[in-house]
Amino acid sequence: MATTTAPRSKPLVKAGTPGEKQKRSLTRKQREAVAAYAFLAPDVIGLLVFVALPMVLAFAVALFKVDGFGNYQYVGLANYKLMGSDDQLLASLKVTGTYVITYVPIAFVVSLALAMLVRNKFKGIGWVRSAFFLPNVVSLVVVGLLWQFLLVDKRGAISSLLAPFGLEDVSFLGTPSLALGTYVVISVWFIMGYQMLVFLAGLKDVPKELEDAAHIDGAGSWQRFRYVIWPLLRPTSFFVVVNSTIGAVTGLQAFDLVYVLTAGGPARSTSTVVLYIYEQAFTFNNIGYATALTTVVVALLVICTGLMFALTRGGRFDEE
Amino acid sequence: MSADPFLNRPIGRRSVLRGGLGALAASAFAGPLLTACGGDSSGGGDGKEMSFWNFYGPADDNGPQSKWFVSLAEQWNANNDVKVELRYIPGKEYLGGNVLQTAFQAGQGPDIFLISPGDFLRYYNGGVLQDLSAQLSDQTKADYLPGMLEARSVDGKIYGLPMEIEPLAMYYSEAAFEKAGLSEADLPKTWDQTLAVAQKLTGKNKYGVMFETAPGYYQNFTWYPFLWQGDGAVIKDGKVAFDTPAAVQALKFWQDTIQSKVAPRKALGGGGGDVLANLGAGAAAMQQSGIWAVSDMRAKGQKTKYGIIPHPTPEGGKQATDLGGWAFVANAKGKNPEAAAKFIAWALGSTDAEGVERGRQWNTVVKTNVPPRKSVQQAADSQGAFAEGVLKKFVSEIAPTGQPEPRFPPEVYQPIADAIQACQLNATDPGKAAADAAEKIDTFLKTYQGAPIS
Repeated sequence: MATTTAPRSKPLVKAGTPGEKQKRSLTRKQREAVAAYAFLAPDVIGLLVFVALPMVLAFAVALFKVDGFGNYQYVGLANYKLMGSDDQLLASLKVTGTYVITYVPIAFVVSLALAMLVRNKFKGIGWVRSAFFLPNVVSLVVVGLLWQFLLVDKRGAISSLLAPFGLEDVSFLGTPSLALGTYVVISVWFIMGYQMLVFLAGLKDVPKELEDAAHIDGAGSWQRFRYVIWPLLRPTSFFVVVNSTIGAVTGLQAFDLVYVLTAGGPARSTSTVVLYIYEQAFTFNNIGYATALTTVVVALLVICTGLMFALTRGGRFDEE
Repeated sequence: MSADPFLNRPIGRRSVLRGGLGALAASAFAGPLLTACGGDSSGGGDGKEMSFWNFYGPADDNGPQSKWFVSLAEQWNANNDVKVELRYIPGKEYLGGNVLQTAFQAGQGPDIFLISPGDFLRYYNGGVLQDLSAQLSDQTKADYLPGMLEARSVDGKIYGLPMEIEPLAMYYSEAAFEKAGLSEADLPKTWDQTLAVAQKLTGKNKYGVMFETAPGYYQNFTWYPFLWQGDGAVIKDGKVAFDTPAAVQALKFWQDTIQSKVAPRKALGGGGGDVLANLGAGAAAMQQSGIWAVSDMRAKGQKTKYGIIPHPTPEGGKQATDLGGWAFVANAKGKNPEAAAKFIAWALGSTDAEGVERGRQWNTVVKTNVPPRKSVQQAADSQGAFAEGVLKKFVSEIAPTGQPEPRFPPEVYQPIADAIQACQLNATDPGKAAADAAEKIDTFLKTYQGAPIS
């Protein structure tokens, strides 16, 4: 590409007015660096102000007893010690754990299956892809209200569909043994379109000639998927797993959706750890304790993500 | 391929150390900063504008309740230098959200706001409730019905002025009873009868009876009468008294309604208190709710023929209901607590004709409540507000059996909520649930240092 910048050996000198001290201009490399930082600045500043600073402040607040009325009392690590005897915290961690180990794999498989389904072009593919993606563009509050409406006891659309099987009395959101599973299904329905798009992007990077070669060698559909597509999709899969794990623990569906659907009930069966933190902060006014809990959840997530990195050798799938 | 270049970048040990040290340094800096921030909301100023946060008006629907609030502010503002500015917060957000708590935490709480008995101690113990006593005349204090001011008082000082009394009762659908071949003679008086009648009323698209199933303050509020019917209590003489046969039987009664499949596990619309969306829509034949539902049915459920009965009792039990109701309170750390207290005393406590009429309008015209003041009740009586129908029954038969809604701090309310939920929806043994809740409450009471719990 042609460039109009001055040769590197000849530094640009601005002609100054008489008596003004001559200034050396920036080199091309320096100018590029300045431009790069300028482009990065909005994101970096945003991250610092809205993510990094609150995180640091959270660590500080966790060392105080905060009563919700502006009063702070330094308590050191007391908030962290309290967690050891908090049964409800353990119960909510269990709910979140169950949610993660069911939601993440199901969402993964469903999204990948959908991506494979709409990978090749056919008539109306745009509509099909849009239909799968549609739930993801709706606000989670609306999603929660919609499903509440569909799952109304005895009178909802789902109950009507199940009536011929004698299951019209099943209360999906009112029965503790069913509520969490229902929450998982709705979460998968919501996220599958987005993850499908991520997988589609990954599938586009799988060289067609490799698949064709395998086909010529006699590999069937499953074998082509298992031995050609799947290995090349691993970086995408890694991203999806990490992303959906973080989303399942602290994402919008871990609070907004469950808050609207069940508010943590029935009988705390859907009380996720984020919901429990909210309860501690805004029902009990234990803001210091709630903040300490957030730091622990973040630490757990960092450990989980670190483990995933370690197991996959830092996500360097291309260096096998 | 790499989905994200950052995922491929190894995290250096030095980077982690640098980040950690940075966080620690910032913590050391932020601690004193936060402490300093917390201390500057002492209030007591002489601001010329007071914010009044509420869940009635000015609302988009510009309904009668919204208009009452707007008119209240306009009347005050026309005659006073310190103006009131209303801020409407939708009910669900006000009751279940965090807008109020966040504002107080930031030292930006409203000057005047609405509070339920269930939240009284949280705000009192937080030191943000202004003593209203000095602004209330003896005539005003004497005008309030017994127990109304006491429930919002600490050490003889009054911190909230109630705007209404909201007793609970059982609503029943006349059409549902007729359809099931039942008559008024079949209206249940006992818990056993309730279960038997509900069985007959339960059908393909309808439940025979309905109680609140969503966890929260409201569910506790609606369950207390069943506890009181067996002479039970949560706290007696400063000590926990929850692990008793009265609590166990009340927990079991609600459990039985679910186990026998005569009550829904999840309510429609706004929940257990929403008569219009449940009984009005034909989804429940009997439903526990409060007096507020009468005005709801007047406005939008005129086609539904319904009646009310007192809560059915256990064998040998006594009649009981819960007298809920919201109060105006002033923020002691607000911009002008004195003026806020004066406004509240004027708005709800004025004993002149205008003040009484304002109370009558709120309690019997734009909303249906039992007025908390004798003079307002007399004015309403003179207009025939309680002369007949369900309101007559509420005032003459149900309200006299009531107790003011308990003012429990969250640490007491939550174990009870967990016990109710566990028994009602998770088939937990009521005896065990009551014992577990009692233990938690007992642990809390041993270290509790706030205002008396009642």
